[in-house]
Amino acid sequence: MARPPNTQPMSKSYLPGNTNQPFSTRLYQLTQRHRHWFFIAPALIVLLTVVIYPILFSTGVSLFRVTFASQSRPFVGLQNFERMLGNDDFIQSALNTLYYVIFSVSGSFVLGFAIALLIRRVTAGKELLRLILIIPITMAPIVVGLMWNWMLDPLFGLVNWFLGLFGIPGQTMLAQASTARLTVVLVDIWQWYPLVFLIIEAGMATLPRAPFESARLEGVSSWMIFRRLTLPMLRPVILVALLLRTVDAFRTFDIVRVMTDGGPALTTETLSLYLYRTAFTFNKLSRAAAGSILMLLVIGLISALMFRYLYRDVEVG
Amino acid sequence: MPVPTSERLLAYVILIAMAALVLAPVLAGSITAFKPQIIWVSSPPTWIFEPTLENFEFVFFTRKGWQYLRNSLIISFGSVAMALMLGVPAAYAFARFRFRGSKALMQWLISLRMIPPIVVGLPFYAMFLYLERGLGIGLRDTFPGLIITYQTFLLPLVIWMMRGYFAELPAAMEESAMVEGYTRMGALLRVVLPVVWPGIVATAILNFIFAWNEFFLALILAGNRTSTLPMTAGTYIVRTRVEWGNLFAVNLLIMAPVIVLTVILRRQLVKGLTFGILE
Repeated sequence: MARPPNTQPMSKSYLPGNTNQPFSTRLYQLTQRHRHWFFIAPALIVLLTVVIYPILFSTGVSLFRVTFASQSRPFVGLQNFERMLGNDDFIQSALNTLYYVIFSVSGSFVLGFAIALLIRRVTAGKELLRLILIIPITMAPIVVGLMWNWMLDPLFGLVNWFLGLFGIPGQTMLAQASTARLTVVLVDIWQWYPLVFLIIEAGMATLPRAPFESARLEGVSSWMIFRRLTLPMLRPVILVALLLRTVDAFRTFDIVRVMTDGGPALTTETLSLYLYRTAFTFNKLSRAAAGSILMLLVIGLISALMFRYLYRDVEVG
Repeated sequence: MPVPTSERLLAYVILIAMAALVLAPVLAGSITAFKPQIIWVSSPPTWIFEPTLENFEFVFFTRKGWQYLRNSLIISFGSVAMALMLGVPAAYAFARFRFRGSKALMQWLISLRMIPPIVVGLPFYAMFLYLERGLGIGLRDTFPGLIITYQTFLLPLVIWMMRGYFAELPAAMEESAMVEGYTRMGALLRVVLPVVWPGIVATAILNFIFAWNEFFLALILAGNRTSTLPMTAGTYIVRTRVEWGNLFAVNLLIMAPVIVLTVILRRQLVKGLTFGILE
C-alpha cells in the first residue's frame, strides 16, 4: 500500500538543515515535522490558561496578604501557610476530609464491588437492574443532598416514618454531632458506589475465561477463585476505581454544603467547604489560597503514589 | 459457567433490595413535585392525591426558573461545544502522531482530573476581579467566563475519550484518502469524522452531564445573570421552612434530562467516568 506523502521517510536532502533547498520547501518540511502541534496547541494553550496559570496565580496570592477589600498587599512569605497549619478549624476540616476519604471510599468500594459480582449471577432483568443501580451517579450531588435532607427529616421524612413502623422514634441524624458525619458519608456512598460498580464490571468483562473454567473443573472453591484469580487479575482496575474515588472524596463539597453546611460544630466540615468559607465569608483570600495549595500538594502526592502502582501494571498513554 | 439456583436467588434478593434503596428516595421525592402545597409535608406521607403542575408553574414563572433553565442550557451547550472544538483535533493528534512528549502530555492530562475545583475556583474569582478592575474586562457572572472556566474539567475528558475513539479506527483510512489527494485536514473532516461520529456524540453527552450537574464553580463565578439550575435548588430552603414541592420540581428539572441521556449512553459511561485510563 502506498504511503501518504508526509509520512515518507525523509532522505538527507529533505532535512531542514540542507541549505540546497529553497526556503519555502524547508519551511514546509519544518511544519510537516511539527504538524501535531497545530492540532494540539489550541487545547494546550487553553488548558495552560485555565489550569496552570490559576494555580501559579494562587501560589503567588498565598505569599502575600490579599483581601477583596483592601488595595495594599504586603509580601508575607510563608506566613499564610503557617497560619493555616496552626489553625484548629483547618486541622479539624482536614481530619474530617480524611474521615470522608477513608469511609466513603471503602464503603462505596465494597458495595460497588459486591454489586458487580452479584449482577453477573443474574439473567432476566439484568439490563433494567443495571440501569436503576447506576441512577445515583448521574444525579447532581446537590440534588442528592437535598433529596436526602428530605428523606432524613426528623418530623416527616421517609426514613423516620419507616423506622417508626418498627417502633423506633424519630431521629435527628443530621443535627447531632455524633451521627451527622456518618450520615453524610452514607449518602456519599449511596451516590458514588455506581462508579466502582461500573469500573469493576467493565474490568471483569475483559478477564479471560479459561483460567476460571479450569479452576472450577479442578474443584477450587469460589472464595479461592476470587482471592487467587479475580482479585489479582483485576488489580489495575481496582486501583483506578480507588484512585478516582479517593480524589472525589477528597474534594467533597456539594453534598455537605446542602446537607449540613459543615455543622453541627464543624463535625462535617470538609477542606473544600472550609476554604470556600475562608475566602468568601471571612474574606481571607491569601489564607484560603495557601490552604488550597496545601490541599493540591496532598492530593498530588496521594495520586502520584497510586499512579506509580498503576503504571507498574498497565501502559497508560 | 452455570450459576446454582440458590446463589442466583440470593443475588436477585440483594440487587432488588439495593435497587429499591435507589429508587425509593428518587421516586418519592419526584412525586412530591406533583403534590399540592397542603400535603408537601405530611406524616405519614400521602401517596394518593390529585397530581398538580402548580409547583412547576411557581418555579418556572414566579421564581424565573425558565431563566435558570436557559442559563444552564447555554452554559452546558457552550462549554461542551468549546471543549469539542479544541479537544477533538488534539485527541486526533494524540491518537495518530507519535512525537516526543506525547505520552507525558497524556499523563499530564489525567493528572488534571485530580485537581480539586477549589484550587482553580479561588484564583479564578480573584483573576476575574482583577481583570474587571484593571482592564475593564468583565468575565464574572457572564456566559463566556463560565464556559471558559468549565474547560478545566471538560477539555481533558474530551481529549481522553476522543483519543480512544480515534485509536480504534485503522490509520489506513486517512492514508488512502490522502493518496487520493486529500490533505490531512481534509481527510480528518471528510473521511474520519463521519465514521467517528457516534464517539463524538457519546463524548458530548457525558460532558454535557458533567457541565449540567456542575455546582461549585458556578457558585463562585456565576451571579444574578448566569445562575444555573443546580445553584437555585438550594434557594428553596428558607430558614424557617423548606418549600419541598417547589424544591423537588427544580430537582426533577435537573435530574430528568440526565437520566434520559444516561439511558442513551449507558454502554459508553465507563469510558468517560474513568477518563479512558482503563483502555
